[in-house]
Order: sequence, then C-alpha cells, then structure tokens
Amino acid sequence: MTTDWHIDPGLIEQYENGTLVPSRVMAVEAHMLSCAACRALIPAEDAWLDDSWSAVYDELHAPRVGPVARLLTRAGLPGHRLRLLTATPALRWSWVLATSAVLTLAVAAAWFGREGSQAIGQAFLALAPILPVIAVSGAYGPPADPMHEITGTTPAAGPGLVLWRAVSVIGVAVVMAGVAAVLLPGPGWYAAAWLLPALLLSTGTLALATSLTLPVAAVVLGALWLTGVLVVARTAEGLFVSSVFGPTAQLAYLLAAAVFAAVLITRRRRFDLGESR
Amino acid sequence: MRARRPVSDQSSDAELLRAIAGGDTAALRLLHHRHAGWLRARLRRRCADPDVVDAAIQDTFVAVWKDSHRYEETTADAAAWLWTIAVRRLLSALRGPAHRWLNGAGDELPDVTTTPSAEELVLLGVEHGALGPALDRLSPELRRLIEATALDGLSVREAAKLLGIPEGTAKTRLMRARIRLRELLT
Repeated sequence: MTTDWHIDPGLIEQYENGTLVPSRVMAVEAHMLSCAACRALIPAEDAWLDDSWSAVYDELHAPRVGPVARLLTRAGLPGHRLRLLTATPALRWSWVLATSAVLTLAVAAAWFGREGSQAIGQAFLALAPILPVIAVSGAYGPPADPMHEITGTTPAAGPGLVLWRAVSVIGVAVVMAGVAAVLLPGPGWYAAAWLLPALLLSTGTLALATSLTLPVAAVVLGALWLTGVLVVARTAEGLFVSSVFGPTAQLAYLLAAAVFAAVLITRRRRFDLGESR
Repeated sequence: MRARRPVSDQSSDAELLRAIAGGDTAALRLLHHRHAGWLRARLRRRCADPDVVDAAIQDTFVAVWKDSHRYEETTADAAAWLWTIAVRRLLSALRGPAHRWLNGAGDELPDVTTTPSAEELVLLGVEHGALGPALDRLSPELRRLIEATALDGLSVREAAKLLGIPEGTAKTRLMRARIRLRELLT
C-alpha cells in the first residue's frame, strides 16, 4: 500500500499528546500499520526499550513449569503454596518410591502365593490405615525435616503449614494405597474398607500432635491401632474382618474421626512447631 | 537448525520472524526494538496505565517468541500481525492480574488474517475526503467503537471489553455509529 501522504514529527507529537483531532488520529494509526518509515519515527527512550527487552528476555529464560505444577495451578493452588508443599520431606522421591515398592511387593506376593492371599489381604487391611499416618509423621517437625529450623522462623510456620502438608501427603499416600487395594485379589469391598480407619488415624494423629510432637503422636496411634487389631485377631479369629471392618466398626471410626477433627479445630493454635510441651 | 545468514538492522520483519522461529533471540531483540515504540504509543491511547501497557508489550514479544511459526508472510503484514497480538495482550492484561498468572503469557493467538480491511483503506483517505469531518462530528463513545472494531481489528465482544461496556451496549452503539456516519456522509 503506498500513499503520498506521510506522518511528520509535529503530527506525531500531537498524536502522543492527545491533541490531535479524532479523524487524524485514525488516519495516523491506519498509516502507521502500512508504513515502516513512519513507524520508525515514533520515539522510544533507550532506557525504556532496554527495560522492556530485559523483561522479555527474563521471561523467555524463566525455568520451565512441570506438568504436575501446571495442573495444580490450574486447579487453583497458588504458586507460593505449591513451593511450600514441594519442600515437604515426606513427599520426596525416596519416600514415594519406598512406599510404592512395599505396596507392589504386597500385591505381587498376594498374586503369586494364591493360597495365602486371604491372609495377605487381611494384613493389608490392617496395615494400610497406618500408611498415611507414617506419611503425616514425616510431614513436619524436627527429626524429619532438615529445613525445620529455617521454616520455624518464617511467618508461614504453624498450624496452617502443618495442615497443608498433612493433607498433601495423606492425599498421595491414599492414592497409592488405593491403587494397591484395587489390584489386590480378594473381596471387592476390601479396596475401600481401610479408608475410614485411615481417616480416623490421620485426624487422630494431627489432633494428638497439639500436645505431643508429630512423630510421637503417630507412633502412639499407630501402636494403638496395631495392638487393637492383633488382640481382635487373637480372640475372634474367624470374625476378624467382619468385626474390625464391619458396618458398626466403620460407623464408629467415622464418629471418632469427627470428634478428633473437632478437637483439632478447637486446639489448632496449640500446634506450633511440633515441639513437645 | 539450518544455517542461515545472520540477521541485522537491515533484515525485513519477515526475515526476523523466520529467524525467531529458528530460536534466534538476537532477531527477537531487533524486532522488539523496531516495533516496541509505536506499539507503546498506540496502546497508550487505549489504556491510561503505563504499567499495563508495558506488561502487554512484554507479553506480546513473549507470545511472538512462542508462536512465530504461526506467522504467514503471504496473508499478513508483520506490523499488523504484531498489532493484533498486542491489542489482545492488552485486553487480557486489563482483565486483571489473576488472569495473567493463571494463563501465563502464551495462550492462544488469534488466527486472523490481517490484510487491510475496506475500512482501513477508506481511513487512509480520511485526509482528503468527507470522512474526516464526519468522524470528528461523531460522538466520542460511538467513535471509540468504530476505532476498536475497524482500526484495531477487534470483534465487538473484545471491543466491549476494551471499553468496559456490556456487549449488548457495544452492538447497539456500533449500529448507531454506522447510521450516524451514513447520515453525516450524505
């Protein structure tokens, strides 16, 4: 497109000041699109150009965001929270790999030794609820987290952070155990029977952590659960599954979990850095 | 990457864009320095906040970096192509900072062919014909809609967003503007 009409510096000044009549503004803009020489006449300070360019350059060389992080950001999790969660010790690869290895072995054992699969299924039911508890115990606090001292001095430390991390590790642990439960041979409802006890033990651990440290609370509750299960298994051998995972027991777990949640909410200010008091 | 001759100040926009598609940041720098100035001047007439304008310009060149392969020389002039990206980046910057973080800088580019429209050709003749005075006599809110749709190449919906009015209002105003222009021109 060629026209004999071109923009002169005075016109550009008026354009930038906003003193040009509207029809001429439109003419200038339409002409700018088609005439490179006139575009080049529009002044831009070197400092501004350099600033703008360095911002673009920085963005091009910013670290790439992984697919998981992008998914979580899409789901509405803010970036700073994501960074806090990735610092959770119990979410490290070593922990995740160890847990999945144990679960894979359990599933493999159940499939290869078919005659013993009933026993393995029951053992899985008894042990699966402990899994999230172990995860929670490593989520926060002195022994598990080498960054604990530094985290403790930040305003982010405290109940909020403990709960965020606990929820994230419980989520991961439950997903892994859930996959294993589905793969295990045995009655279909086994796959879900351990979920309520797991909920009870996790909330219980967090509630207990308002007066003990997290690992101690986890050990206490885990031991209680295991001894309880063992006692029932000894005394009522044939009725083990129906008495520990039957409808009445499940209802009791749900109620107890609700109680623990209430305790957790009322005493939440008490859990500070996982120190014992 | 194929060997190509290095880009310089004398390279055309199309050559620069081809080099950018091949991963050449020096070419992007040249393109930025060549076009950022007029883009800023033009965007500033549409948004009073200089920070938003600067952010929109940065987003524009990041988007160019990611999508330079989508530029087609035959259908679009480089400057017009850049402008369509820039004005849409401004729109999404205006929709608030939350939006920017959520979608990042490089979400989809408009797939429009940016050949000059009939309106633009007419506007080039504004200097000489009766259209100039007619446009000047149009009321500002009607004129801004004509500007946003005919000059900026926005859809009515996007123009409404840019001007901060409901889409229905924009439609009726555009209709009134057309009627009024016809009256003024006859």
